[in-house]
Amino acid sequence: MDRVTSPTSIAASGMRAQADRLRHISENIANADTPGYRRKLVSFDAEMDRGRPSGLVEASAPRLDQSALTEIYDPAHPMANEHGFYDGSNVDLVVEIADAREASRSYEANLRVFEQSRQMSSSLLDLLRR
Amino acid sequence: MLEKLETIRMSRAMSAHAAERAKLVAGNVANADTPGYLTRDLSPFAETYRSAGAPPMRATRPGHLEGAGTGGTDARMIEERGGQSPNGNSVSLEDEMVRTAEVKRQHDMSLAIYKSSLTMLRSALGRRG
Repeated sequence: MDRVTSPTSIAASGMRAQADRLRHISENIANADTPGYRRKLVSFDAEMDRGRPSGLVEASAPRLDQSALTEIYDPAHPMANEHGFYDGSNVDLVVEIADAREASRSYEANLRVFEQSRQMSSSLLDLLRR
Repeated sequence: MLEKLETIRMSRAMSAHAAERAKLVAGNVANADTPGYLTRDLSPFAETYRSAGAPPMRATRPGHLEGAGTGGTDARMIEERGGQSPNGNSVSLEDEMVRTAEVKRQHDMSLAIYKSSLTMLRSALGRRG
């Protein structure tokens, strides 16, 4: 098992990518009421090794969701236009929560793989211990 | 004695196969949300194991890799296309859990075989296993 693509480091790269995604989700949720905020989208890229996926994964740079911002009616708001509307964020809390669930589910799956490959290598080392 | 050595060689190939497969399964789980990623797996050990009786590949230069020598496997990587989600990803975490269990079982089995054949060799030498 070489160091770069051993199952433990692959699982670790998966956990790192999912944690990155979860961080952007929490940024979105924190900014759900920030006027003019566009939600950040994170995708994943499989790392390539000589044209084949090496198994490692990394989170791509976040993109901004270009869908329309919600218009909120509040004439008293300092940013309101002449019709009394101002631009809110385009964060949908339900979508963010569902995304967060999916990220934590994938994180746990990676953790299980990590734990198992650790067990496998330690049982291999047990052979030497006699 | 020679059959014992074949057993050891086979268990070594089996654990190498399990390690390689564990690597692919880890890659599948890590890429469970990567768009366009296809599930990867190895062909089963039982179908691809080459016993020591088969003629090995000849190395005509010292620089040649001897990885294809006796007691290896011809396992090929398989990409599965079925059941893709809309973003082109075909990983199912449930299937991967089944695979991890299989890999663990195979790995434990190969270690158990290795251990017990070592014990047999030791008792043949007149020491207590």
